[in-house]
Amino acid sequence: METNSVATLIALPLALSLAAYIVARLNRKIHPGWLSLLILALAWGVFGVAANEFDREGTLTYRVGMMQLQLDGLSLLTCGAILTLGTLTVIYSLDYMAEESAADKYYALVLLLLGTMMGLVCTRDLFNVWVWFEAMAISTLFLVAFYREQLASLEAGVKYIVQSALGSAFILLGIALVLAETGTLDLQEIAQLNQDSAVLWAAGGLFIAGFGVKMALVPFHTWLPDAHAQAPSGISALLSGLVIEVALIALLRALTCVAFSWGTLLIVFGAVNMLVGNLLALRQTQIKRLLAYSSLSQMGYMVFGIGIGIYAQTLNGFEGGLFHFFNHALMKGLAFLAVGAFIYSLETHQPLQISDLRGASRRYPYIALALSLALLGLGGLPPLAGFMSKWQIFAAGIAVHEPLITLLVIFAALNSVLSLAYYAPIINVLYSRQAQVEMAQGRTVPPMMGLSLLVLSVAIVVIGVYPGLLHGALEPAARVLLTAFGE
Amino acid sequence: MNDEELTLLGVVILFSVGVYGLLLTHHLIKIVIALQIIGKAVIIAFAVAGTMSERVQLAQSLIVTIIVADTMVAVISLALVIQVKQRLGTLDARELSNLRR
Amino acid sequence: MTAWLVGLTIGLPWLGALIVWQVPDHYPQRQHGIAVIASLLTAVVSIGLLTTYSPEVALRLHIGGVFGDFILVPDGLGVLLAAIAAIIGSLTVIFSVAYMEHESCLSRYYALVLIFIGTMAGLVLAGNLLLMFFFWEITALCSYALIAFDHDNPAAVAGGLKALVITQLGGIGLLIGALTAYGRFGTDEIAVLLARAETLPKTELSLIAFSFLIAAMAKSAQVPFHSWLPGAMEAPTPISALIHAATMVNAGVYLLARFYPAFEDVTGWTTAVMTVGIVSALLAALMALVANDLKRVLAYSTISQLGYMVFAVGAGGIFASQLHLLSHAVFKALLFLGAGAVIHSVGTRDMRQMGGLWRAMPQATIAFVIGAMALVGIPGTNGFWSKELILERGVEDASPVFVVGLLIGVGLTALYTLRLVWLVFAGTPRFSAQVHEAPSTMRISLGILAVGSLVTWLMVSPLSKMLAETLPTHHLHSETTRDVISDVMTAPITVLALVCVALGFLLWGFHHRLGWLTARLQFLNRIASQDFGFEALNRMVMRSTSTLAEHLRSTQTGELNWNIWGIVAGLVAILIYVVVEV
Repeated sequence: METNSVATLIALPLALSLAAYIVARLNRKIHPGWLSLLILALAWGVFGVAANEFDREGTLTYRVGMMQLQLDGLSLLTCGAILTLGTLTVIYSLDYMAEESAADKYYALVLLLLGTMMGLVCTRDLFNVWVWFEAMAISTLFLVAFYREQLASLEAGVKYIVQSALGSAFILLGIALVLAETGTLDLQEIAQLNQDSAVLWAAGGLFIAGFGVKMALVPFHTWLPDAHAQAPSGISALLSGLVIEVALIALLRALTCVAFSWGTLLIVFGAVNMLVGNLLALRQTQIKRLLAYSSLSQMGYMVFGIGIGIYAQTLNGFEGGLFHFFNHALMKGLAFLAVGAFIYSLETHQPLQISDLRGASRRYPYIALALSLALLGLGGLPPLAGFMSKWQIFAAGIAVHEPLITLLVIFAALNSVLSLAYYAPIINVLYSRQAQVEMAQGRTVPPMMGLSLLVLSVAIVVIGVYPGLLHGALEPAARVLLTAFGE
Repeated sequence: MNDEELTLLGVVILFSVGVYGLLLTHHLIKIVIALQIIGKAVIIAFAVAGTMSERVQLAQSLIVTIIVADTMVAVISLALVIQVKQRLGTLDARELSNLRR
Repeated sequence: MTAWLVGLTIGLPWLGALIVWQVPDHYPQRQHGIAVIASLLTAVVSIGLLTTYSPEVALRLHIGGVFGDFILVPDGLGVLLAAIAAIIGSLTVIFSVAYMEHESCLSRYYALVLIFIGTMAGLVLAGNLLLMFFFWEITALCSYALIAFDHDNPAAVAGGLKALVITQLGGIGLLIGALTAYGRFGTDEIAVLLARAETLPKTELSLIAFSFLIAAMAKSAQVPFHSWLPGAMEAPTPISALIHAATMVNAGVYLLARFYPAFEDVTGWTTAVMTVGIVSALLAALMALVANDLKRVLAYSTISQLGYMVFAVGAGGIFASQLHLLSHAVFKALLFLGAGAVIHSVGTRDMRQMGGLWRAMPQATIAFVIGAMALVGIPGTNGFWSKELILERGVEDASPVFVVGLLIGVGLTALYTLRLVWLVFAGTPRFSAQVHEAPSTMRISLGILAVGSLVTWLMVSPLSKMLAETLPTHHLHSETTRDVISDVMTAPITVLALVCVALGFLLWGFHHRLGWLTARLQFLNRIASQDFGFEALNRMVMRSTSTLAEHLRSTQTGELNWNIWGIVAGLVAILIYVVVEV
């Protein structure tokens, strides 16, 4: 159905981010955080309308000039995840960034980032995928290098922009190849041409490498731990919980036009990512860096699930991968926000070490519990969300009935156990009885930060106990991929 | 070899030169220049792709967009490089490796 | 009605956990009170459940998609184990009131214990594999959190981690088995797997059977996955009694018993199960013989007794294994709680610093000795009847080698148990602390369990009827207590077993004069105290993993050019794949 709710959904945060920045700049009395929260509330309203229309009419489209927007099941799910974590991060930041003088810029950039991500998942034009992708990269950069006074932010920013620009050049080269071969850039038109040529294969390879940089596939991942550890905690949550996953969605969109058997390659990348991410996190002592490395391994599970979906044409593979994407957004978001709460309470500007958290549960029982839930969920333990999505991915893998895939599922499960070897010690430190002196005297964590943590904690427990809750949103999204990658 | 293939060869060479620069130079400004070379290679690639698929119009508009984005990236990265120079007093990328492991 | 009881058995302790966790640390009386009330209510409900067992689905929650339905089935096997968990759980909670008196973080302690009780009930009542795995993993999580309860003690933290990692590794077996079944049947209902097992391709059925065996071995601490259980002894003693003796470790035996009908025809499976059982029973008994830590001796004895149960399942003695599971749960909980009373009083776990304690704590001594008698299998105790049933089963269905192994195990059990009792309670005191009799709340639990150790075997008829009626695929036939008595009394193996017990006792009586023999057996002592090399294996795996991690970390130099090399190398690798593929 042709409708403008799609366009509004994307345009709203983009246009109003600038407006909010200017308003907050002109009138110092207006809190930019609350203003962005208001904008996000509007966006939720539009999202509700769009979801409702989607329910009745199926895929929604909108054409503006050269731009063709399209809201299908996959975009709806991703937009939902983006708005959920985005809103919670903004609520969290109300207090977290309260003392920051550049708060107006911060909120404007967050809105810009959310808007570009939604644009990215709603486009059906290959070139526009790149445009949105680049816009997302640039708004991300400003947020990575947000603490300008810190040298480490500068370093992370330089590495990020150079590596990301190289990745983006790969993508562009791939697009040029597709254009030369097919003469069009509309994803669906290309898919209907059903061409199979070496040039398109090469384009697909360039896409995987290019988007792989942003998705942090090993060995393209080297920028990620720096950037994710260095950004403000709310941004780390968005980067780890959304940006790399949205890059995965973008890759899948791009690959639909060269939809050959990428399954094997993705499965291998998934397996490598799990192992390397876990091993790099295993001996890590800085907690945000540890969480960043664990994102590599979690990305591995998503890619693994989707790889199985492509390889064996199973809905469960796609659905499991997407389910893990959603759960990871919640769990990794929660982990980063909870760590941020400790950083806030300690008023530290040094990178937080795991040992700094000793005895944190004495002074902050609820935040310690939230962080524990997030970590155990990431480790794939029930009754938490991460367990259920891993189960679905593994179920899809075993159902392929191929010994090699079964072995890889066992390998993935072993990796889950390995990951516990670095998640669990953090929990041990949190629940130590002798509290660190600084921790015992930390300042109180304000209610707004607590609220975000509470919502996320409850969400991962509820999804863990009743995984059917999201089935209605996941199934259409997975079906989009199944159709796109179908024979 | 026709014109298009020759130009494509040029694209490949240009791209390789850029990547070569990124791999080997430690000088931050040179790294930005290498990125720019890669960007130019990509732009030429689009021009060729446009002619080959007889979508010159489309290719032109794409190229304009790419140039804009490319310039933005160049500006931002140069701004970062200036800050590095001011803070560290050097333009050596190897000095920027405190975040590791 | 049944649905309510099932829901309450799982939900009540969870609710209690939620409430008790909210009580701040400066109201210890409230923390104790809430925990005791919640656990007692659960025990009452679980007894109610014992009377309303049925093989029908009691609760079904539709989840949809790959997750299917969550099902709870209160059949005989399930309600028996749920009742064991709830009743022994409530006794340990009562015991904890005195034992944990001056500890901090009690709300967390009780919350975890209560979550565990509910989860254990859920595990045995689950009617589909996903739900079973779900609860299976939560029990491991609770066990980990409670072993590492004292987070400032490095040994406790290490022990907790080890338990978590090893049981998780075993859990992969359950995961793979469950998913393989799901992959074929499109549902993960246990009843479907049991009913249609023979329709599966041979290799897949073997895969499921052996994966489940691995899961069971890890959970029930069977060799070579046993090394976590001694490490788990760092947990507070009531936890050792509840989780690491009476309930969670039984889950492995339960798993094997539950799926026995599906797997009995798989080539080599029953032999493998019996072998695992015997090997664990004997090796652990040897290790118990040389350990000096009171709780470690009991831990090894748990492994050894679980070995008997595993053997029984392999030999097809489902009822015998479950009866021994019940007996063991009661007398081992008694032994652990008795040991807890001793440790609470003396302040050490080293048996070399005990001795002569019967004078100071006569009542605890009587209770402990009753438990020890049940462990050895002295006629009249519950351990005697169930162990004899297992031996009989061995004579009927297994090769003589296994029977000889079982008899040696009986002798070794008698020997190490007598050594344990002797070192702790008899002789002259080797400590300086002021010892006192166990406080009254401890004595309540000890008394109830001591009586239980003497009488639970009288329930043979109802238990047998319950299992026979609700497990159609197991083809059990109902036995009465009278049958069992006459069977055991007339079987020649009973006499042999008692001779072995006597020999074991005699050997301890002469242990001073057998110096030459002990000297000869020193090497055994040395190997056994090093856990037969399994501990070294564990350490090797851990060390090599962390060395690998450290090496990999050193490749993350943080240099921009190096990072670009990575990206370009990745691209080249992908393009090579593309070229090969095209």
